[in-house]
Amino acid sequence: MAESPKVFYEEENPQGITRAELLVAVPSFNEASTIAQTVERLDQGVREFYGDLDSVIVNCDNHSADGTRAAFLSSPTQVPKIYLSTEPGVRGKGANLRMLFHKAKELQAKAVVVFEADITNLAPYWIKYMAEPVLRGAGYVAPIYVRHKFEDTLNTAIVYPLTRCLYGRRVRQLNAGDCAFRGDLVDVFLNPPVWTAAMDQFGVDVCMGTLALTARVPVCQSVIGSPKRHRANDPFAQITLRFRQTLATIFDLMVAYADFWRIVRWSKPTALFSMDGHDTEVAPLVEINMGRLHARFLQGFEEYQPVWREIFEPALFNKVQEIRSLELPHFSFPSHTWALVLFSAALAYRNRDEAERTRVIDSILPLYLGKVVSYANRTERISIQQAEEHVEETCTIFEENKSYLVERWR
Amino acid sequence: MPKILVVDDEEHIRLLYSEELKEAGYEVITAESGHKLIERIEAERPDLVILDIKMVDYDGLDLLQDIRNRFYDLPVILSTAYDTFKEDAKSIAADYYVVKSFDLTELKKKIAMALETRLPE
Repeated sequence: MAESPKVFYEEENPQGITRAELLVAVPSFNEASTIAQTVERLDQGVREFYGDLDSVIVNCDNHSADGTRAAFLSSPTQVPKIYLSTEPGVRGKGANLRMLFHKAKELQAKAVVVFEADITNLAPYWIKYMAEPVLRGAGYVAPIYVRHKFEDTLNTAIVYPLTRCLYGRRVRQLNAGDCAFRGDLVDVFLNPPVWTAAMDQFGVDVCMGTLALTARVPVCQSVIGSPKRHRANDPFAQITLRFRQTLATIFDLMVAYADFWRIVRWSKPTALFSMDGHDTEVAPLVEINMGRLHARFLQGFEEYQPVWREIFEPALFNKVQEIRSLELPHFSFPSHTWALVLFSAALAYRNRDEAERTRVIDSILPLYLGKVVSYANRTERISIQQAEEHVEETCTIFEENKSYLVERWR
Repeated sequence: MPKILVVDDEEHIRLLYSEELKEAGYEVITAESGHKLIERIEAERPDLVILDIKMVDYDGLDLLQDIRNRFYDLPVILSTAYDTFKEDAKSIAADYYVVKSFDLTELKKKIAMALETRLPE
């Protein structure tokens, strides 16, 4: 396991809070321009819906140098605030959230809600949508944001079908970046079977979700009814890093939890939390540069064919070659083939050392981009609801073909 | 043998499902409305519920939430005449759905999948 850094390099707790029933956490790195607004809205939400609970808002920061700390502490709130920071140079959302887990344990929080610092459209009522299911008995809550069919394809093509197939629970946006959980779940988060550098960064969201699923706590999905707008909104920003760390996290947890997921057959829904009285917003349009993604898919063959020849069975390798020959307007990457690609990559990952593991993961990126092109082709002219049905069909194909993975994972 | 509760306000549906599912080897009990459904489930402990979405006096999707909140892992299959219900986010709390038909092949397949579903203890 990666060595733990010092828990709180810096802590500022102006009101000397030692206990809290509701803890609202805001992880950050260089968010001075957005954090005050976020915190004020969270403060409003806490006061409006949970004024009877002892609450605290905690900023878990990566030692930002842009004034995030001052912006957070000086934002006008009635709910008390605590600022925590990692050591200089220690970066990553996962590192931030590990501080949160320790603080939540220390404060004996009953419910913990996490919202990212740069959400520009966060509304006070979102607090209720995330905290209420926990207070009513859920162990872990994942949001369902309104999304365009082309938004977060990493989740649509990989995280959702794989985690559902492996762990048997249908959490549509496990990787959403925000969550809520019962306070005692921090013991699970603080004692994972494995903790890697990827989980210290982009991998932490899928890591927490997976730990919650394997802990068998009741999971709830909360229908927020709004999209989630970030300060920066390019779906393919840092795609290589996000892809690598997310898929590595999924594969590392597969190794750790093989005894769990090998038993799982099919999948089950979660409980759902939604409230009437709020109109559902329309998802903002997300565009995909199909030509660029298709070009990157084709480029993958120049670099990674030797890897694929090694990690794919011949029939699968040949199928991938067939897909390569399809022109863009007719491009299609069947879900059955995609499932076998991911299963084969997981098998290869398990059997390799770290350097080779990175190469296996990187070799899947161009194929993922090809899958995105295929998905976009398939769903371009249909509604978001119809696209969701296609996603559900893909997930069923993953579940139907799970035996391919189980039989080879010995 | 697994026990299935069929909840539908149409008698011919309850009869059709009852006959065919009994023939397929299931024990079948029926309810004609959502009235006191939670208490009924508590008392009868079915292994699976087939739930009509549109009943005269009850909204099946609201009943689905009540069932899911009270019996977290109880399999529920939604039975509907139309698939427009999917626009309602509440429907994702169901294990599966089927469009009503005299041919119960799809329903039996979904029942088998739901009852085969296995998660570690």
